[in-house]
Amino acid sequence: MSQPPQSSTPPAAASATQGATVPVWLIVLMGMLLYVGGLYFDDHGGWFNPQVYGPYRSYAELEPYQPKGEGGLAAQGRAVYGKTCIACHQATGLGAPGQFPPLAGSDWVNEAEPGRMIRAVLNGLQGPITVHGQNFNNVMVPWNSLSDEDIAAVITYVRGNKEWGNNASAVTPEQVKTVRAKIKAHPTAFTPDELLKISPAE
Amino acid sequence: MNYGPLVFLAAFFALSASWFGFVLTPQIQLGRQQQETNIVNTAEMYPQARPGMAHQGLEVYRANNCAACHSQQVGQTGVVVDVVLTETGTNLEAVASVLKNVEPNVTTAGLAGGLPKTVLHGVKVEEAEILVKAFKTVGAKAETHLVPLGPDLARSWGSRRTVAQDYIFDYPVMLGNSRVGPDLANVATRLPDASWQLMHLYAPRSVVSDSAMPSYRFLFETRKIQGQPSPEALKLTGDFAPAAGFEVVPKPEASELVAYLLSLHSDTPLFEAPMSAPIAPKPTVSAK
Repeated sequence: MSQPPQSSTPPAAASATQGATVPVWLIVLMGMLLYVGGLYFDDHGGWFNPQVYGPYRSYAELEPYQPKGEGGLAAQGRAVYGKTCIACHQATGLGAPGQFPPLAGSDWVNEAEPGRMIRAVLNGLQGPITVHGQNFNNVMVPWNSLSDEDIAAVITYVRGNKEWGNNASAVTPEQVKTVRAKIKAHPTAFTPDELLKISPAE
Repeated sequence: MNYGPLVFLAAFFALSASWFGFVLTPQIQLGRQQQETNIVNTAEMYPQARPGMAHQGLEVYRANNCAACHSQQVGQTGVVVDVVLTETGTNLEAVASVLKNVEPNVTTAGLAGGLPKTVLHGVKVEEAEILVKAFKTVGAKAETHLVPLGPDLARSWGSRRTVAQDYIFDYPVMLGNSRVGPDLANVATRLPDASWQLMHLYAPRSVVSDSAMPSYRFLFETRKIQGQPSPEALKLTGDFAPAAGFEVVPKPEASELVAYLLSLHSDTPLFEAPMSAPIAPKPTVSAK
């Protein structure tokens, strides 16, 4: 485009700037629309949780609708255990002497808080570990491909399995999700020493 | 003045915003779904990959553009809970007094028979659990039953809403967005009879008199009966029957399509779409 041969601001540009003033009512209207949109999003978005579909509006609203009793988290955990853990830790939870440590009555399993166990299941374990005074040195594979529910279920099943002499609290999928987010920076298997440095409540 | 960079930036911003919204966000949200456990029968994993014939049938479904008239997505607008009394225990008086709170004219005699009995209809899950707990304290047993609600479910097109999990083995997903015909997300539960499905594909109006569906006769072969009639031949009557001495048999495409249709049942109770128990298959052959 051709420019007029002036060094100062052309008068046309000055008038254009004046004409571009946004009316106050429009700003107020936009603000109100944004607010209403935000409320709607908050109510219907489910916080981007892939488990939350309408008519449920949040994970907290969905959870009470899960079947209770026989079909609860522990029963789901029994199924998950049968597909994953059973190969090494055995149906009895006793493991194999010298190879795979027992889960039954293990102090690692029966800690008041499940933080260490969730980490071990998610990322696996390697290195020397002592259970019931016996030393083991093997590799546990990571199970982070399982969903938060399945991991919570299987840990709940193992921790609450009274036949094995375990009696520890249940684990929620939310707890697994929190730990999974925390250990993003640690993609490899944990060593038992590393786990001992972490507070189980974390 | 040169507006090129500004136009470029605006276009770039608009396209990348839609890419983030329509591609990246759903991928992060749903892109890594795997089989999950059925929450009622926890030994079962869901979904299972479609068997070979049904997998081929998806291609036939796609080739004939069935998705233009049939959706495969069931909606749900709400959920309520029923309380079902399964065992009364020995203390009938106490059970009746608990039940009086919800059913004023209950008698101890009326309690004895007819179990399991739905004692409370369509309440919120919290209220239902209070009643279940009250029954437990007097030695009776009660269960909560989820009842998903919605117009699609009222048409018996399913027993719960469909979720992304239902489609993870399908490519492409035949969601469909037009409902000239009924939704097919649960057609196998509704119409499990393969010979009915074949008849319906060959001549829709031979089984549903007011059907608007075109007939797919090119998926079938009309041939002269040689010796014994084929066991696969359609049992057509009246106007739809072939000429005497001829029979109508399905081509492989028709058998595959029916195998695919009979693999469509999105009715497993899942964490994200909870349900108490799958509705038993209905043997009736009707055009819902």
